[in-house]
Amino acid sequence: MRDVANFLSRFVSPDDWIVLGASAAVIVLMVAVAAALGFRGAEKLDEARLATLAAAEGALIEGALVSAHGDAGLARLAGGRLLAARVMADGVSARAARPSRLRVKGKRVSIAFDDVGFPPLRFKFKQDAPSWLIEMARG
Amino acid sequence: MIEHPPPPFVIPDIITYAVPGFVVLILIEMAYVRLTNRGRYQFVDSAASLAMGFGNQVAKLLVGGVAVAAYFWVAQFALFDLGWTWPVLVACFFAEDLAYYWMHRISHERRWFWASHVVHHSSQHYNLTTALRQTWTGVLGLSFIFWLPLVLIGFPPEMVFMFSAISLVYQFWIHTEAVDRLGPLEWMMNTPSHHRVHHAINPRYLDANYAGVLIIWDRLFATFVPETKDEKIRYGIISQLGTFNPFRVAFHEWAGIWRDITHAKSPREMLGYLFGPPGWSPDGSRKTSASLKAAWRAAQPGSL
Repeated sequence: MRDVANFLSRFVSPDDWIVLGASAAVIVLMVAVAAALGFRGAEKLDEARLATLAAAEGALIEGALVSAHGDAGLARLAGGRLLAARVMADGVSARAARPSRLRVKGKRVSIAFDDVGFPPLRFKFKQDAPSWLIEMARG
Repeated sequence: MIEHPPPPFVIPDIITYAVPGFVVLILIEMAYVRLTNRGRYQFVDSAASLAMGFGNQVAKLLVGGVAVAAYFWVAQFALFDLGWTWPVLVACFFAEDLAYYWMHRISHERRWFWASHVVHHSSQHYNLTTALRQTWTGVLGLSFIFWLPLVLIGFPPEMVFMFSAISLVYQFWIHTEAVDRLGPLEWMMNTPSHHRVHHAINPRYLDANYAGVLIIWDRLFATFVPETKDEKIRYGIISQLGTFNPFRVAFHEWAGIWRDITHAKSPREMLGYLFGPPGWSPDGSRKTSASLKAAWRAAQPGSL
């Protein structure tokens, strides 16, 4: 631990620590104010929203599955492709997904992506798994 | 070898002194958005933006010395010793702003530099906390090289640092939807309206308005696009991030570059992935700003 402190002291002066500490405190304050003012996401996904996202990619959806909380979804696109989407605050982010990375277990689904900016998507859904989803998960 | 005289006055730590003002303005903007619904906030998004700003401070402490050392090293070979006079200060203000314009433009047009700058554009919101969503890899990505010609000409390094800091502070307040157009100021200055266009992902607005303080550079180099009321602005990046994790935000494009170059089939492809436009691919299957703009133009009524 002392070695780490010695190493850091080469780069960070006592004044710098004060500035960093104050910055961290102010960040906590601002985020707390934003939360207290009720700035929370209100976006929900549904089949129509997934269809809009697919249309932006020039595709039609053949099947859709939305999470129990409406914050994530999957859609099978024409041509056997797969679209994944998640709610981001009050926006939505979507990616084309490879069916080979899709896993379905009961009423849970998970899918991974190559893109570091889009972490694996895991969610629960209410209804029974649709046949297209099981078919895609089997490859 | 030129040895520049020291500055005739103590240059304050401009950015640190500006921070309390940043905080006050953010709190005022939050209250304004709450009361008027003009603009958007989301606390997780703001937390991510502020965490990126914090990480940027840490990164500067750890590796910022590299950029400082580069400036002073280059200063030894300066062509002239311009010194600290009023005309030189004025010239340096314009020169710094021009250097910023080209750094910013190339940061959008070349993936190597975009990998750092994408962080600043990665929020789907546009508010004052977005201004603080800054890269952690700017120094390592060599963004500072765009200012080195100024030092080589003979502007004292400290003067260039000073105007860079002033430019950064200026650019804070323009990250807002709460301020509409500002009349005659729109001709000369970079304003909230101009910068909203810069952060937009609507095809008509892509790759426009790179200005720092003065919008004149965009007008001069034909990258100026005015804001229109006809179309609601969408903010963020073409492939919107699916995470608020600061580490993923900071490094996702670098990871993408690594993935691409390790799958490249030739040195040409490797160079394309590194220094081509963001979205470049050997077969043209991915979207670039140019392809998105071309598709949008083709879809406009009356286009051939």
